[in-house]
Amino acid sequence: MQLSTSFLAQVTPVEPSPVQAALTQLFPADNFVLLGVILALPLIGAFVNGVFGKRLGREAVTLMALSAVGLSFVASLVAFFMVSSARVGDELVRFQWTAWEWFRLSTAGDFSQTPLNVAFSLDALSAVMILVITGIGSLIHLYSSKYMEEDPGYYRFFTYLNLFIFSMLVLVLGDSLPILFVGWEGVGLCSYLLIGFWFDKSENASAGKKAFITNRIGDFGLLVAMGLLLYFVGALDWSGIESNKEALLAPVKLWPIGNEVPLARILPEDAGKWLNQPRYVSGATLVGLFLFLGCAGKSAQIPLYVWLPDAMAGPTPVSALIHAATMVTAGVYLMCRMAGVFVLSPTAMFVVALVGGFTALFAATIALVQNDIKKVLAYSTVSQLGYMFLGVGVGAFVAGFFHVLTHAFFKACLFLGAGSVIHAMHARIHDTDQSQDMRYMGGLRKFMPVTFLTFAAAWAAIVGFPLTSGFFSKDEILLKANTSFVAGTSVAQGDFTWPAWGHWVLWGLGAAAAILTAFYMTRLFIGIFFGEFRGWTIVRGYQAAVHGHADAGHGGHDDHADEHGHAHEQPGPDMQGPTPHESPWQMTLPLVVLGILSLAGGFLSAHLFHVHPLDDFLGPVFGDAVQRVKLIKGHETRTIPLVAFAVVAFLVGSLVAYWIYLQAKGEPARKLAAQFPRLHSLLIDKWRVDELYEETIIGAVDSLADMCVWFDKWVVDGILARLTTAIISLSGTALRQLQTGRLQTYAAAMVVGLAGVGWFLLTPRAAAHTSADHSSGRYEITAAPGFGYGYRWDSDGDGQWDAEDFGEQRTIAFSLQTEETRTIRLEVRNAFGRTAEREFTFSRPKPDKSGYVAAATGVGAENLKNAHEGVGMKQ
Amino acid sequence: MLETYLPLFLLFVVALVIGGAMFTLGHFVGRKPLGPEQAMPYECGNDTRGGRDVKLTVKFYLTAILFVVFDIEVVFIYPWATLFKSLGWVGFATMSAFIVALGVALVYVWRKGALEWES
Amino acid sequence: MDTSLMSSPGVMMLFGLSPILALGLGGLLLMLAEAFGRPVVAHALEAQAIGAQPAGPEGQIVDAGAGRAAELALGAAVILFAGAIFSVALWLVGPENVTATERVAPYLLIDRFSVFFSFVVCLGGGIAALLAGGYLPEHRIERGEFFPLLVFCTLGAQALAAAGDLLSLFVALETMSLGVYCLVGLRRTSVRASEAALKYFLLGSFAAALMLFGAALLYGATGRTDLAGIGEAIAGLSGDGLEGRAAQILIALALLIVGLAFKVGAVPFHMWTPDAYEGAPTPTTGFMAVAVKTAAVAVLLRVLLVVFADERLGSWGTGWPPVLATIAVLSMFIANFIAGRQESVKRMLAYSSIAHAGYVFIGVVATSRSVDAQASVLFYLLTYTVSTLGAFGALILAGRYRAEAVSYEDLAGFGRRHPAAALAFSFFLISLAGVPPTAGFFGKLYVFKAAIQGELYWLVVLGLINSVIGAYYYLKVLVFMYMREPKPGAPFATPMRSGYVATALVIAACFVLGLGILPDTALEAAVAAVLGG
Repeated sequence: MQLSTSFLAQVTPVEPSPVQAALTQLFPADNFVLLGVILALPLIGAFVNGVFGKRLGREAVTLMALSAVGLSFVASLVAFFMVSSARVGDELVRFQWTAWEWFRLSTAGDFSQTPLNVAFSLDALSAVMILVITGIGSLIHLYSSKYMEEDPGYYRFFTYLNLFIFSMLVLVLGDSLPILFVGWEGVGLCSYLLIGFWFDKSENASAGKKAFITNRIGDFGLLVAMGLLLYFVGALDWSGIESNKEALLAPVKLWPIGNEVPLARILPEDAGKWLNQPRYVSGATLVGLFLFLGCAGKSAQIPLYVWLPDAMAGPTPVSALIHAATMVTAGVYLMCRMAGVFVLSPTAMFVVALVGGFTALFAATIALVQNDIKKVLAYSTVSQLGYMFLGVGVGAFVAGFFHVLTHAFFKACLFLGAGSVIHAMHARIHDTDQSQDMRYMGGLRKFMPVTFLTFAAAWAAIVGFPLTSGFFSKDEILLKANTSFVAGTSVAQGDFTWPAWGHWVLWGLGAAAAILTAFYMTRLFIGIFFGEFRGWTIVRGYQAAVHGHADAGHGGHDDHADEHGHAHEQPGPDMQGPTPHESPWQMTLPLVVLGILSLAGGFLSAHLFHVHPLDDFLGPVFGDAVQRVKLIKGHETRTIPLVAFAVVAFLVGSLVAYWIYLQAKGEPARKLAAQFPRLHSLLIDKWRVDELYEETIIGAVDSLADMCVWFDKWVVDGILARLTTAIISLSGTALRQLQTGRLQTYAAAMVVGLAGVGWFLLTPRAAAHTSADHSSGRYEITAAPGFGYGYRWDSDGDGQWDAEDFGEQRTIAFSLQTEETRTIRLEVRNAFGRTAEREFTFSRPKPDKSGYVAAATGVGAENLKNAHEGVGMKQ
Repeated sequence: MLETYLPLFLLFVVALVIGGAMFTLGHFVGRKPLGPEQAMPYECGNDTRGGRDVKLTVKFYLTAILFVVFDIEVVFIYPWATLFKSLGWVGFATMSAFIVALGVALVYVWRKGALEWES
Repeated sequence: MDTSLMSSPGVMMLFGLSPILALGLGGLLLMLAEAFGRPVVAHALEAQAIGAQPAGPEGQIVDAGAGRAAELALGAAVILFAGAIFSVALWLVGPENVTATERVAPYLLIDRFSVFFSFVVCLGGGIAALLAGGYLPEHRIERGEFFPLLVFCTLGAQALAAAGDLLSLFVALETMSLGVYCLVGLRRTSVRASEAALKYFLLGSFAAALMLFGAALLYGATGRTDLAGIGEAIAGLSGDGLEGRAAQILIALALLIVGLAFKVGAVPFHMWTPDAYEGAPTPTTGFMAVAVKTAAVAVLLRVLLVVFADERLGSWGTGWPPVLATIAVLSMFIANFIAGRQESVKRMLAYSSIAHAGYVFIGVVATSRSVDAQASVLFYLLTYTVSTLGAFGALILAGRYRAEAVSYEDLAGFGRRHPAAALAFSFFLISLAGVPPTAGFFGKLYVFKAAIQGELYWLVVLGLINSVIGAYYYLKVLVFMYMREPKPGAPFATPMRSGYVATALVIAACFVLGLGILPDTALEAAVAAVLGG
């Protein structure tokens, strides 16, 4: 461990340099205005481009957008070094900046003094994140300045992009969940706008919509988690949650809702008892699962992953920046941020790890057969995100976060490389769909050497070529999946311990996904860059399609044919068209930078070589959380075999792909597809999950809306209107003059409403609140007060009323012996002389050691909670 | 409690008796064979013209409404007048404000031409 | 400065009543101004509007007040904002320090509660007046009486919030309602507007009659007409005294709830709302959606918490809270589902206002169990007022003469044609949807928080579900504005130009943003304004 050469240590002199001293004075830790600068720059960029962009012209827009993000990057660098140099020992460094005090939940009540400020903070975790965001953001801005050159919405694009950077920075710099949520929604909005950037295509708009709706489900989870945190912990800012998180260990009764399940009354006794058995979870599990729902929405995990592949309809730099490098990792960031909360619940962690592992494998299977290169990369992203959650779920927070970093490098590189390829193909084909289809590519390495080389570097990283960044990060995750687990907490009740087979399942999912990843990425790589260029034929076919649909080879794409109406070169035998060409430097420079990072980035945390500056840097952030993460016995012995396996996985996956697609020209794959046509088509259709959702959830919502319309049309307009018409025409002609339109319907609805209100007030209700103290055997039952009500009781359970007359006594108190049962009856008479009766059964159980005493099985007491509060009307 | 409603009840009974008596007496005492003139509307001997559902010009309603509006205001003044002395200056000021508001309304109606039959 | 004069009861009385007096006197002046305005010639109007040479036949005098809508709008806005400013001044001095106003009690109760509502309705009325200043001339609805009527309606709303007696309550309610009936039917030549006004009028009379019946029963049962007195009498009833009267009082409760729920526009007493809102000129719609609703909620709160405050009536087993909770849930679900299916944005906003009545009712229900609930309702109404008027204002701005923006399709590509207005529109809709950092978010937050405090978890869950459903149709507008282009050849709305509407939008936006970023002040005011607080 001592061998670790922290590059941070190198830049951290013992004596603070004058520059550092000046910086520290300028930006004190408790009022770190530098964060404001980092945040403001992209916002200004977005504002200027958004408002004046149309008039500014292309160059000015580029300058504005690039300099905004670039300067923000420089500021982030400064902030990063300040964080790293301010650290002493294992203390957590956190710079804070409170922009303004937003509001306090201060009206009264339990969580009275919760201040919510617009505050930002910077610690090691967010320092790394902002470097990634602004760094890769700058590169992608540069790239986009060329990629989007021809687009009429140029300024709009950069407005959104800058706005995205701003929102993402808010997300990672926010010092509390609400601020994070603002950023969370902000990036969602930008993503939505950018996916639908080319909104004239309806599929893009619908992709945007899908992303939007799916993310709302996730947001719902995040909101609920916030509410629960507020309820349990009483704070939403990081330090507040951290200091008070033990409160989350309190058990929450999940079932039955109320005192008993109504169904239990009609079931056999045993079944009823089983049904009524109280079930508890810890608050941490609830919070963790709801938080994870939020994370799963944003980071595209099962079951909410469906939006991400469709989101690739947006411009490719957007895919690289938002849907690969930054936004989709927000879920992982949030999990790392809330690590202290998550580790309190082994259940939640296991769910996270399991979902992550399944997502990794599931998405990889889909990626096997896709032909659209962006689709392959999209599913690959989903799969890699699964890895991150797998890592975070098993408590390897640093490893998970490390994979965020390396993934940002190599996936951004892959997407930008794909963009470069598409750019080149598009120049030739002029069709968005076909220029992304790898069946028309091949052999491009000759035409685009830089793109090829950088793509190769990123390919090496993602398939886990030894010593590349992906190798180290993926290896670390798989290793931890196999060896580490989250220890149970001290709360015995309802706690969950990780099963022994868990490691092998989690590791197995990850390992299988690793092999598949190596396979499909190699397939993609070969498909694009090796073999013969198949685009020549497509151009002929394309021409033929324009002239007479002679070529059926690309059936579905024909209707997209030449929307641009370009005049192409004359058909002829040597018709070659423009050859694909290398992209300009604005596009290749980011590729080169990212390619180098993909290759070398692994040494930020290369445990194999005991080089792990990242771990040291992030250590204090997770210091508390990792206390609960344990390693299984004998984990040391597994390291070497597992690393060896990772190499084997890479070799198997890529060599098989090499053999199939390059040696055998894809023949085995076609044979296999022909042999298992149904499986193949299922994979092509992405397991038909979209269709499933369409049928079930969306269908249900639609039919509910239909039902309301139907109700309005038939029941309200139809039955009610006719009925009233009949009644009114019977009762006389006086009102006839008013029967124009559907006025009578409206009046009828009002009458029905009035009747409903009247019915409610007319009906007597024998609601009551019971309280039971099993240890002392004291029981009390209080009937809800009612206006004009009289009460009579059978308090001794002899079947006779205590007094025949209705009186005003509302409360009965009595005591029971152990295991004694008594049935109390209550009858009420309301102001209209109508009566209602209800029985309450009390039984005192034997003392229970578990500490969670079964509640009194008060039959007919489902409204007890409600009835209780009616007792007092607070003013 | 019901005793207080006795006068009301008596009034009701008296109204019913008188109304009923009129009709009954008319039926018994009146001359049976009606002449053609008596069978006509209003028993006035003039032929009526047009149908019963003739539409009157909206001006009639407007005038009627205005009459009702201002007439009802007078009802307010009536109880005030009986208590004029005990209400004193405050009462006077209040009623003056009320009458001013009424005056403004009158001016408005006038100015808007609602009082002009021809336009 | 003569302090004795300042503190004399007469002056203090005037000061205490200044928000109401400002509107009353201002309305009278405005009426005269409208009546004595110089007549304008019809063709000049036409020319002024289309910016071309007079083309029609020889012009004729249309109406004395015609063509001066803009000037009158300014007058009305000044009067209404003056009312709002007087309310603020009164608030700062503290109504409890202005003891002279006790002379008008219980007919008018000048307490913090009523002053708060006075401010909200004046603000709503003022913004509506500005909107009308742009809308009426643009759409050639040259009816100057709009503005005095608007001022008097606001006066009625103010008085309604301040009413502490059944008599003044009913008079105030009718003052407000009668004016609004006329405002709805302002566009006399439009069949739709007349139908809307007639429907609203007839159903409104029905509801008023029900309320009056309820009030009469209360008087019969207790022999009192002042709300506090009735409340005391009811609380004092027990034993034999209660025997014969309990039924009366319960029926009165049902009738009053129905009558007020009608004014609020809650399901199932909402059926008039979409028709009336759609038929009315858009500024009227906005006014109805905010001021009328706000005042009705104010009086509902006063009735429930003063008259029916007895624990036996506010009980969860048997009293009004479950009734209102049911109404709240029905309102949210039915309105939200139907709103999602609307083609017309204006009608969608009408249903949205019903749904918001549901959210407000959650807060009203929670008043029986949570100390914060009243304040949350007050705050919600403030946020709802500015957001809704803003949304209607943006809709007004999106259209022009004979090409009013009505459907979603009309708004396609609006984001391109008029970025500023589209941005404002988005902003207000986001606030209505309850997304931070807007006013609407905090409105919902506090209402839900109060309900949580009252342990009404299921209501909160249903409310949250509905917020999500609601977000769908609000954001659909955004989708059309930013992501769609109008179909080729299809008519789309071109935005109008009007300083009045723009001013109104700026004011509303300032409030929406201000309440979203710094909600504390307003919330503290709401907390201070609660009844019995």
